[in-house]
Amino acid sequence: MKPEDIADLKQLIEFLKENQVAEFDLDRGDLKIRLKFNAAEASSTSLGDLSRLLGSAPAPVARAAAAVTQPAAPVTAPVEAEAGLHTVKSPMVGTFFSSPSPGSAPFVSVGDRVAKGQVIGIVEAMKLMNEIESDAVGEVVKCLVSNGQPIEYGQPLFAVRVS
Amino acid sequence: MFHKVLIANRGEIALRVINACRELGIRTVAIYSEADRDALHVRFADEAICIGPPRLAESYLNVPAVISAAEIADVDAIHPGYGLLSENANFAEVCRASNIKFIGPPPEVTRLMGEKDKARMAMKRAGVPILPGSEGVVASVEEAQQIAAEIGYPVIVKAKAGGGGRGMRIVRSHEELPNLFHAATTEAANAFGNGELYMEKFVENPRHIEFQVLADEHGNVRSLFERECSIQRRHQKLIEEAPSLQVTPVMREELGKTICRCLMEIGYQNAGTIEFVMDSAGQLHFIEMNTRVQVEHPITEAITGVDIVKAQLLIASGARLDEILPAKIEMRGHAIECRINAENPRKFTPSAGRITAFNVPGGNGVRVDTAQYAEGVVPPYYDSLVAKLIVHGRDRAEAIAKMERALSQFIVQGIETSIPLHQEIFLDPDFRDGHFDTSFMERFLAKRS
Repeated sequence: MKPEDIADLKQLIEFLKENQVAEFDLDRGDLKIRLKFNAAEASSTSLGDLSRLLGSAPAPVARAAAAVTQPAAPVTAPVEAEAGLHTVKSPMVGTFFSSPSPGSAPFVSVGDRVAKGQVIGIVEAMKLMNEIESDAVGEVVKCLVSNGQPIEYGQPLFAVRVS
Repeated sequence: MFHKVLIANRGEIALRVINACRELGIRTVAIYSEADRDALHVRFADEAICIGPPRLAESYLNVPAVISAAEIADVDAIHPGYGLLSENANFAEVCRASNIKFIGPPPEVTRLMGEKDKARMAMKRAGVPILPGSEGVVASVEEAQQIAAEIGYPVIVKAKAGGGGRGMRIVRSHEELPNLFHAATTEAANAFGNGELYMEKFVENPRHIEFQVLADEHGNVRSLFERECSIQRRHQKLIEEAPSLQVTPVMREELGKTICRCLMEIGYQNAGTIEFVMDSAGQLHFIEMNTRVQVEHPITEAITGVDIVKAQLLIASGARLDEILPAKIEMRGHAIECRINAENPRKFTPSAGRITAFNVPGGNGVRVDTAQYAEGVVPPYYDSLVAKLIVHGRDRAEAIAKMERALSQFIVQGIETSIPLHQEIFLDPDFRDGHFDTSFMERFLAKRS
């Protein structure tokens, strides 16, 4: 590794810590990096910021799909580990939308109470808007996906404290 | 050329397509079910998207899920592999409507070839030899009896929408025709939602011979010669070889030309295979066309030096055949493929589970196409093909020697495989001498037990 790479890596680690990224994989062909941080510090973050920092930013869609590539397991593990937390998972592959239309308020936010069958988001698949319903009763404690994000089948969407 | 391609398949063929894309500098997107999370096609693709639970209907056969994955990954094209959605004209139409290139023929052509009676008539018009039989579908038992009387028993009635041996009956006499006709109609209606039947003269114990073709999108079609696939059990091919010992250079040349002319007229595009039966007099008769890449395509690649999957990608991106293929395709040596299945080699019961040891043979003239590895899992949900072992020698004798050597070095533990069965077949004097037809396995298994 060249000294400038080390400097870049240091900067990258700082950035990842700042944004509480749990896991990070980079494969540029000549360089492979895999970083794992303490699960307690983990939360979701914008991959767009990462790409900007890295300079070698892939095209926006490739980046979006790359987010999909890593199965969601590493993110769910710490969430599910907490007692009483239930994850609502996506029943289909598609694009997630948190509100009924652009600019309107999201279906649910952190702190909201949700009922079983309550619509908590939309997944667009093949131009069809599919309403996603909560399969638990309780309080939303975490949103695990952002508006407009591509998601895969079974990907965790929300963490709900069941009550 | 495409920038990014989604592979709508799993197992060895998904990996085969990924390899071809890699070599052409195309990015790849794998799709997978929850049962395939640790599969190699997922690991070796540039991106991977989980599209559903293990059941085929909810994942690999789920058209909205596949298209949705293609949209979020923003691919230019979808390669369907074989099986699954590869011969689904409706899927090809949805791809077209979604502005995604389907790597295969246009949906209209796939649909034509899927309606077996129409495909038969199209071939007949172009001068491809077909078996005597009905012109299109047979409307009634009376009409069936009349046609059968003309062409002579035995005859076979087949579902127009057919496949996989369902909706099919061999009829040996005038008296048994009504019952068998009704049984086939009912079975076809249940299996395909269409009970229409057509009739052909039945050939006893034919050889199964097929021609590989490539067609570009500019009206050019070329033949990549034939493969012999007579070693089958219950219509499942076990061993394929190329060239066929029974096809003479004159037949190869003339039938190749006829087929190409026919496919030009139809407007065929991309890779395809035309299946024939060869009767005891050595005559070939058209049976049906497969509008996709075949499992056994590597043996043709071995003897022609043409990368068929790369050719599919290049053709779909608009290349002309003369840019992809040499001016004259030479046939070199002899190639044989064994399909290694996860099944008990005596009882043929499927054997899913975790592989504990996996040694793949290699060396001169040996190719293995597989997506399995030590610690890999063969899920119970999908077909049992674990690997394809392909050998290429300067002649059939050398290819057989290579295959025997390679089979002895192919070690799979943890699950049962058909490797011991293949080893036994290669010891059979009739097989070694090339004396076989599609009834070989029945005789072989009867002798063995």
